[in-house]
Amino acid sequence: MPSSERLVALTLAWAVAGAALAQETPPARAPAHKTSLDQAPAQKTSLESAPAHKTSLDSAPAHWLERMNQALTTRNYDGTFSHWHGGRVEMLRIIHRVQDGTVSERLASLDGSGREFIRAGASLTCYLPDKRTVLVEQRPPEESLVGFPAVNDQSASFYDIREGTRTRLNRRDTHVITVSPKDEYRYGYRLWIDDSTAMPLKTQLCDRRGHVIEQIVFASLTLPAHIPDSAFRPEVSTAGFQWLRNESAPPAPTAATLAWNAMRLPPGFRMTARSAQTLPGSADPVDHLVFTDGLASVSVFVEPQRREHADQPAVPESAAVGSSSAFSTVIDGHKITAVGEVPPDTVRFIASQLKAEELPAVSSRRH
Amino acid sequence: MNEELDSQLSAMFDDELAPEQCELLARRLSRDEQLKARWGRYAVIGAAIRSERGVRLNAPLAGRVSAVLLAEPALVTTPGARPTAVRWWQPLAGAAVAAGVAVGCVLWLRAQNPLAGAPLSAHLTAATVSVPSAPVVPAAAAGAAESYVVPRTPAVRAMVPSTELANYVVAHSVFSSPVARRNLLSAFMTSESGTAAEEPPDEPAVHAQ
Repeated sequence: MPSSERLVALTLAWAVAGAALAQETPPARAPAHKTSLDQAPAQKTSLESAPAHKTSLDSAPAHWLERMNQALTTRNYDGTFSHWHGGRVEMLRIIHRVQDGTVSERLASLDGSGREFIRAGASLTCYLPDKRTVLVEQRPPEESLVGFPAVNDQSASFYDIREGTRTRLNRRDTHVITVSPKDEYRYGYRLWIDDSTAMPLKTQLCDRRGHVIEQIVFASLTLPAHIPDSAFRPEVSTAGFQWLRNESAPPAPTAATLAWNAMRLPPGFRMTARSAQTLPGSADPVDHLVFTDGLASVSVFVEPQRREHADQPAVPESAAVGSSSAFSTVIDGHKITAVGEVPPDTVRFIASQLKAEELPAVSSRRH
Repeated sequence: MNEELDSQLSAMFDDELAPEQCELLARRLSRDEQLKARWGRYAVIGAAIRSERGVRLNAPLAGRVSAVLLAEPALVTTPGARPTAVRWWQPLAGAAVAAGVAVGCVLWLRAQNPLAGAPLSAHLTAATVSVPSAPVVPAAAAGAAESYVVPRTPAVRAMVPSTELANYVVAHSVFSSPVARRNLLSAFMTSESGTAAEEPPDEPAVHAQ
């Protein structure tokens, strides 16, 4: 879509956004009812006239981050937003529902690739029409509602979390929360969080110097009490597509196996999860380690190097998915790949620090 | 400057000029400002190579080269001084030293550059990637605020999401924070497409109000 047309579309979308936002539900587990947010009195606080200031972990900025995470994971919502990164902007739609404790989510590119990501409980399906491929990943049921670690004192020591001047965005009162990294191992955020719903209406991902490297802005957002199942059906025709699944059960722990650990980590990061699994299209078991500093996270995947590649020299490889980074290398005959929403150096360092230790049976567990 | 002279200068810089021709050229170098400027540019190139690629130019030798080049006009034009007082080997020595340094630079580059012929930027990227950063904290002590060295950020090439990378992204997204997950998956959905916009677009609300 040409830029001019996109601008018109966005403008039109915003024209109806106020009405769209006029309907919302409380968190999904509460009794569902619609509320006119636009008619609710605007909350006036001393923050409105106060200058930007830093607060303690238990005070407003961190509290708003928690409220936002809670809203994003527990509310029903249906929104259209623009995603900007690397000089390109594209429209996407996200539909999120929590019903009877089961999370359903659909994220679809409205122009361009036509890709869709659909989550139904523990099942993750990725439709890649440009590759004529569908990936289906079945996650362990206990991971269907992973609670992300809360911002704690440790993680807060590596970010400067502040609240800025309150701003009106799309006729909504918002709190602007700035999360600035104190080093170059992580990214920061600027978040425009809706006063009433705690939904982030605008998000900017920033580097260490505060430069915006990725931005998401909602053009329309509704919070309906009920979202039908039909909303989570893909629009992609999958005729002739190859389907890659990981329906085989995770590998059973053996009597003696390798336990992979990072010898050193960037400041503030710690391992929070470890599991053994198979990925779609592969029968080889993969160790999945998760490291986080409370806000950013990095996954490390360890799998035996394929035989056909065993005699080839190990060539470290970097990749990027938006502002997220990936780095792959080979250590002790195993392919190590780190992926995370962190700068390239962080994934490279973590991947390079992995080392295997031979231990008795290691089962899937969370730390 | 004629091509023959330029060729001779280049050959001398590469230590490929016959000794007798070196002597003649060194004499000319001492009195030809244009030729001297040309030689100076070679020196600048050598310095640039040194600073970017880690070549250490011997400071005393470099100083001698400069001193010879700078001093020659004064020697030539000093009243009462006989031209013959300027020994032919003085400029030659400086030139030879500089040429030696230059040859050393070239050899060093050849030895260090496995991607000879590749663009310099590509080589630098590869070199950066191959050198591990030197931070950080032991995992056992992670969380303690310790000092560390901020690593250099390498250039990262955008890669078309492969099926394998897609698997990793999807698996990782389960463990991302809600906002980060949305960013990650959105980027994955939109790679290779979208409309060009050099700056992040302002929210359309500005236009609607």
